[in-house]
Amino acid sequence: NDCYSQSYPQLYEPGQRSLYFSKGAFIKCALHSCYSSLVLFFVPYAAVRDSVSTDGHDIADHQSFALLTQTCLTVTVCVQLGLDLSYWTAVNHLFVWGSLGMYFLVTFTMQSDGLHRLYASSFPFVGTAHNSLDQVTVWLTVLLTAVLCVLPVVVHRFLFMQLNPTINDKAQPPPPRRRARIRRSSTRCSGYAFSYAYGYGDLVTSKRFLRRPVPLRSAGSTPAGRSAAFRPAGRSAGYSPSGQ
Amino acid sequence: MKAGPSRTNRPDNTAFTQQRLPAWQPILSAGIVIPGFTLIGLAFIGVGVALFVTSQKITDLEVRGKRDTHAVLFFFQGPVFFYYGLTSYYQNFRTYGVSKDGYQLSGDTYYFNVRAWYSCAPYQYDSNNNPIVPCGSIANSMFSDTFQLYQVVNGMKKQVPLDGKGIAWWTDYNIKYSNPALVNGSFANAFSGTVKPVNWSKPVYELDPTDQANNGFLNQNFLVWMRQAALPKFQKLYGRIAEGDYAQGLPAGNYTLLINYSYPVISFGGTKKVVLSNVSWMGGKNQFLGIAYLVIGSLCIVMAMVMLIIYAKYKFTDDDEDM
Repeated sequence: NDCYSQSYPQLYEPGQRSLYFSKGAFIKCALHSCYSSLVLFFVPYAAVRDSVSTDGHDIADHQSFALLTQTCLTVTVCVQLGLDLSYWTAVNHLFVWGSLGMYFLVTFTMQSDGLHRLYASSFPFVGTAHNSLDQVTVWLTVLLTAVLCVLPVVVHRFLFMQLNPTINDKAQPPPPRRRARIRRSSTRCSGYAFSYAYGYGDLVTSKRFLRRPVPLRSAGSTPAGRSAAFRPAGRSAGYSPSGQ
Repeated sequence: MKAGPSRTNRPDNTAFTQQRLPAWQPILSAGIVIPGFTLIGLAFIGVGVALFVTSQKITDLEVRGKRDTHAVLFFFQGPVFFYYGLTSYYQNFRTYGVSKDGYQLSGDTYYFNVRAWYSCAPYQYDSNNNPIVPCGSIANSMFSDTFQLYQVVNGMKKQVPLDGKGIAWWTDYNIKYSNPALVNGSFANAFSGTVKPVNWSKPVYELDPTDQANNGFLNQNFLVWMRQAALPKFQKLYGRIAEGDYAQGLPAGNYTLLINYSYPVISFGGTKKVVLSNVSWMGGKNQFLGIAYLVIGSLCIVMAMVMLIIYAKYKFTDDDEDM
């Protein structure tokens, strides 16, 4: 965030050096995609091949297989997305869980009886979700695919963090050892607030803000909300307009 | 400094608009990753063992070739399901898969002769330009072999009843497919002006004349066939052995299978087989899931140990360097 950007200017180096947008990065991404694609097809294929459902009916039919592969893909993508998100705010929770929920909602709607009765030819998948998503093997296959796709990424990231930490990893705050869970205090630092407002030209051009050391973490404080006179909300990187 | 711009365009100074929402930041630290992998590994091994043991308990008897008499060596726990299987049969071929008319099959006679789905071609009209009902390749290629199973008891053949009811999906039977309404009290009249598919021996309204609930588009074998398979090697349910003396299962002994061959597969290099199987909470016999879970669980535990070793080694190295 902006606090770290000021205290760790080396964070800009990888961007300037195009470290994350190089041929090597692209090839790694392509390899990961190839591996995931193979897993996402062949694990469902092997799981339903020659198998039947718990009441003897077909489970290896075209529509059920398509639905199974699709579900594996959506769940895997959501799990991978959760891993990649650096910050889980309420908005992130809403969109990730909401995506998953929307997928199931739309699937059940499109495969419902009502829509089929309206337009028979357009909705031929009627009953597929109802018949295959109550099978234990289908959910076990989804779980297996998600784990197979995501855990290698976790291992790779963890090992590289230990063996070859980049500046991004080093700039992370150490996890608070006293607390039972990893929970960052809320980041309400907003150095932006005073840098974009007028009236601070004197402060910025003076050398005052070079003197103070920047605290690593700013304690959360409630924002003032809208007010008639503009005031920077929160502790602006330890500085206040009165110049204390 | 000149007066600033009006303050109406200034974004609200709330946590949401200024990106100051409380956030949880997941960090891949050793305290989370290594125990997490161990837990996942143990859970997967547990599930894998359960799946593998269950799959081993499911009995699966495959019958290939033209030998008629087969010995069942042990008691086959019921209910036993009777499947016919085909290989090298690409029901998942795209042109084949779209070759049917959903409106026809839902009983809409408007689509019988006036407007049939164009993708049904070349099984849309016969050589005399009569419309075919049900049109398309999937219906035309319906499996036509019939099976009868007998147990040989004291040299006499005792029929094992095959229950053909409820072998298709409930949604297929009740929602997806419907018969057209009777015309003048006759089911055959509802199909007047149309002809049967080229490869069929009987028209669709004679698929089961004894049971109107199993006739026409609602014939269970027809429904099972129309549910196209995803893979070239598939098996489809033909009947259930769950009645009479065989309600508990098939006792050990000799059995005779009488097959009425009428379905040609040699021309495309396919094979036919019959499979008898029972099921469990995980469905039919499938070794893959059990073995996969066991392998992945073990790999997780191995990786957890590897990561622990690397973490310990580099942690102590870092500590030494700091000193």
